[in-house]
Amino acid sequence: MIVLDKVSKSYGSKAIIHAISFDVKQGEIVGFLGPNGAGKTTVMRMIAGFTEASAGTVHVCGHDMATEREHAAPYIGYLPESPPLYDVLDVTTYLRFVARAKRVPAAQISQQLDRVISACRLEAVTQKECYKLSKGYRQRVGLAQALLGEPGVLLLDEPTAGLDPGQIQETREVIRNFGSKHAVLISTHILPEVTLICQRVAIINGGRLLAVDSPDGLQQKAQQSNSVLLDVVGERAAIEQALGSIDGVMGLSIRPHPVRSSVLSIDCLVQDVDGIESRIARAVMSAGELYRLERRQPTLENVFLGYIGHAGGAAVTDLQPEAA
Amino acid sequence: MNGLAGVRAIYAKEMLGYFRSPIAYFVIAVFLLGTGYFFTYNIFLTGIGTMDSTLQNMGILLLIISPVLTMRLFSAEYNARTMELLMTLPLQTWEVVLGKYLGAVSIFLLMTAATWINLVPLYLFGTPQTLNIIAGYLGFILLGMACIAIGQLFSALTENQIVAALITIPVLLGFWFVGHLQSLQSSLLLRDLVAHLSFALHFADFIRGLLRSEGIMFFFAVIACALTLNTGYLQLRR
Repeated sequence: MIVLDKVSKSYGSKAIIHAISFDVKQGEIVGFLGPNGAGKTTVMRMIAGFTEASAGTVHVCGHDMATEREHAAPYIGYLPESPPLYDVLDVTTYLRFVARAKRVPAAQISQQLDRVISACRLEAVTQKECYKLSKGYRQRVGLAQALLGEPGVLLLDEPTAGLDPGQIQETREVIRNFGSKHAVLISTHILPEVTLICQRVAIINGGRLLAVDSPDGLQQKAQQSNSVLLDVVGERAAIEQALGSIDGVMGLSIRPHPVRSSVLSIDCLVQDVDGIESRIARAVMSAGELYRLERRQPTLENVFLGYIGHAGGAAVTDLQPEAA
Repeated sequence: MNGLAGVRAIYAKEMLGYFRSPIAYFVIAVFLLGTGYFFTYNIFLTGIGTMDSTLQNMGILLLIISPVLTMRLFSAEYNARTMELLMTLPLQTWEVVLGKYLGAVSIFLLMTAATWINLVPLYLFGTPQTLNIIAGYLGFILLGMACIAIGQLFSALTENQIVAALITIPVLLGFWFVGHLQSLQSSLLLRDLVAHLSFALHFADFIRGLLRSEGIMFFFAVIACALTLNTGYLQLRR
């Protein structure tokens, strides 16, 4: 349904997107993951037809967006990063305008409005002007307009931003239902969202596509480079030598414990081999005193951080924890 | 694909937008106050029972008022990030441009029609020349449609509404006063050129009751050029 083939985008001499290729099939929900400024919105805009690719091709439902945008547009439901609402219009009037612009037959407009108002839980605000809506409702009205006209492809740029936990669950349910029959591409910062509703993940940074795989597949790839966290008391050089001699330990990061100055916190990058934890424990106890040993399971967050080039433990300000 | 359906959708949205915000009421009120003042001055203080001077004053007032009407047409869409919606809906760019243009022209026609109240005392207490008034109003409508097309073009060029208005006003004043450069030109070709480009000279013909095809074609050419450039610019932005 969505096919990008070596798509690039430049503004003047500055290249923003570098030869990105991936596809989204019918009945599939793909998460588009990357930090701020990675190029997610630019790619979404090229797929939606708001901007054209400088090189490569974007096909939506078989139509080339460079030459057949008007044929592809009826099949696209697009929620931009900022919900595109007309503040002076009330919700029903706004949705009616979008339905008319999407060429929904006049006899079906009321039925379609009822469907999207119900799906996005907008019953309480249908007569309210858009400028009076809370951020969460604005987001849901934006989603409702994207769902109008029975699009085959749904492009959602951070669809759950600004929603409360209950609304997030409802929105995910709407997307999941839609994605069971259509193609959905979701740009998001919220990693758990990807694992919950996406069949595949595309990771982008600096305008380059770094990986496309299922959330499980990405985690499995990371299994080969797990880490073991240690809190140890002892002489640094001796402990370092003891750990360095173990077969399967690929790297060490040693720093003082943030609270107890006499304790060393060690992050061992290890291969996924049986019994590695016990070998590490024995080696540490031969050189010092072991306070804590923890095997860190690879999470999607670690995988993501690894791909975009951040240190494993460093916080990435772009990453928002999922609402409880 | 039925193009008119897209134009109608944009037009309806524009009209709702005008009347659900203070902009249309403000522009109409200021225009009618100005027109009322000029009419009162020209008729009751000078005692001349024609619309000639009033129409001339209305033309100049329009150069200042119309940019207030047009400045938001695209600038506001950029600011509200709704341009992203308009350009990704199944609409052709020209449909968006034409729908918005027709909306602004409708408001302009409404405020023009409201000035017809001035004709009541004119016909009650004088014997005005009806054909001159009809020709004058036709010229005024063509002038207004050209001003709106130019204002809409400049609104598409900037995200700032005030900048859009501040660019449009001098451009319209330039089109109005360019005829005065005639006396400075020694070349006959340049004299003809500045005369052909002058809003004021073409409009003056209409006020005098002259319906010249040259004047009508000139205003339509300005409208067509501005709307074509407007559409081309929006397509270029992609």
